[in-house]
Amino acid sequence: MLAKRIQPMASQAKRLYVELMFQVMGRALQAVSEVDSEVQGEARTLPERFLFEMMVMPDGSKLIVEHIGDGRFHYHGNSAPRPVDVSIKFKHLTHAFLVLSFQEKTSVAFANDRMLVDGDVSYAVRMTRVLNRLEAFILPKIIAERAVKEYPANLHLPEKLISAAQIYLKVATHFVQTVRA
Amino acid sequence: MSNSYYEFFCPVKVIAGKAALEHIPYELSGLAAKRPMIVTDKGVRAAGLLDPVIAACEESGLEIISIYDDVPPDSSTTVVRDIAAVYRKEKCDSIIAIGGGSAIDTGKAVNILVSEGGDDIAKYTGAGVLKRPLKPFLVVPTTAGTGSEVTSIAVITDEKKGVKLPFTSSYLLPNAAVIDPRMTLTLPPHITAATAMDAMTHAIESFTCMAKNPLSDAYAAAAIKKVSRSLLQVMDNPKDSDGRLELAQASTMAGIAFSNSMVGLVHSLGHATGAICHLPHGLCMSLYLPYVLEYNLETIREPLSELLLYLEGPEVYAATPSSRRAEASISALRKLRDALYKRCKLPRTLKETGKVTEDQLDQIAEMALDDGSIMFNPKEVNLKDARAVLQRAWA
Repeated sequence: MLAKRIQPMASQAKRLYVELMFQVMGRALQAVSEVDSEVQGEARTLPERFLFEMMVMPDGSKLIVEHIGDGRFHYHGNSAPRPVDVSIKFKHLTHAFLVLSFQEKTSVAFANDRMLVDGDVSYAVRMTRVLNRLEAFILPKIIAERAVKEYPANLHLPEKLISAAQIYLKVATHFVQTVRA
Repeated sequence: MSNSYYEFFCPVKVIAGKAALEHIPYELSGLAAKRPMIVTDKGVRAAGLLDPVIAACEESGLEIISIYDDVPPDSSTTVVRDIAAVYRKEKCDSIIAIGGGSAIDTGKAVNILVSEGGDDIAKYTGAGVLKRPLKPFLVVPTTAGTGSEVTSIAVITDEKKGVKLPFTSSYLLPNAAVIDPRMTLTLPPHITAATAMDAMTHAIESFTCMAKNPLSDAYAAAAIKKVSRSLLQVMDNPKDSDGRLELAQASTMAGIAFSNSMVGLVHSLGHATGAICHLPHGLCMSLYLPYVLEYNLETIREPLSELLLYLEGPEVYAATPSSRRAEASISALRKLRDALYKRCKLPRTLKETGKVTEDQLDQIAEMALDDGSIMFNPKEVNLKDARAVLQRAWA
């Protein structure tokens, strides 16, 4: 009886968490592309105006970023200005929650068929590397190791702290700007 | 390493063994198909491989309505459109694809057009676009390696845009795969070797990569055992039809395994090398397999150790200390490659191919990093890692 009452609340909590994480990740993707040369190098090979989406099927939360050129991303929130080029789709809210709460690595989620790629797979692979790099920066090492296949051996604490501070500052600024707007 | 969740799907009826081709009329009649079209290539026709299929159908009163035998090695959207036009003109109602990967992929793509309508196959590219079953479709493989008869993917080149279009749907799977040893009996030695090593790589990557699961493991292990036992026998005696059937079954089993567990870095490097240096896929698989296993070794030690049983048999397995079995598995594969080199000069290094230059390695590494299969490799790979594996495979 109690479980039945709690279930909708738990589901709503998951939904809100995934929504919030997408908002943070979208802004953080924009920020990391302004901070890290490795991410810029990955992004530069994407076409300009390239739109990337992560979403929960069938019509749940989503994040959309655009490559605006020179390796920079722009976060569009949850609505795309035109049809997206590549979409990574979680089959269910629970699968998105598993990945975004770092209970399942992104690579394991792909292996477990938790998500689908719609569009050019090579771009999806590239964007996954960008997401891994972002997670390695912004998460404490102990949590990042649960999120990525292999924590980058060449990412040392000073670089990580400085980059993370820059990314979080930019994310916070973007949040404030969005609220003011 | 193993997953707590997995998916496994293979609805293809496998018809394998002596006189398997003679089951084609019965299978088609069970699908209410009376006007089949054969899709194949000139090599298959010239080798006389269509004759037993046509004879089997005629003996049961089933007329082959049309034969398209001009599928190129790298099939294109134009070819698919042309075949679909012939299918419609001749009022065919089913497709029999006879050949290797290209003919089978072309058959799958033609089936999309003739079932869904239209002339633009590019409209159906991607995953999950198809929503309903297609026309009756049978596949008769004439090589023992690709496993395309049991995979739900087709790749067709769009010549105008110069890109490869992938099509993924469970509806692309044929209704039946017909495995008859007569169809691979005349394969030349180097193709026999390369395609069998392709099947071996499918099975080994399936068994050691991230999406491995208990059901794909069973198919992969059985496939490895069959290739290990039969390949050299067939190389020494190409007319050994029992051995040929073993290799053909191994290819299908490896296809079932990898289509449910995906593949890894061997395929990423192989796809890139094929695209840049135009080397045959099976040859690339054979070439890279031991080097990639060495790269992945510490992340796959347990499953790779287990494979020694299927590669070398119970006596060698029992006599090898458990701490050395993974290395012994790699040695077994190197030994097999040496034996194939001795018999048909199947290259073991990039240098031995004579078609790759050392300055192409950077380009191959860069392209391999963007290949979809790299996602499923158990160990993370960066540009430096991929370059190092290529350097080891160079000479």
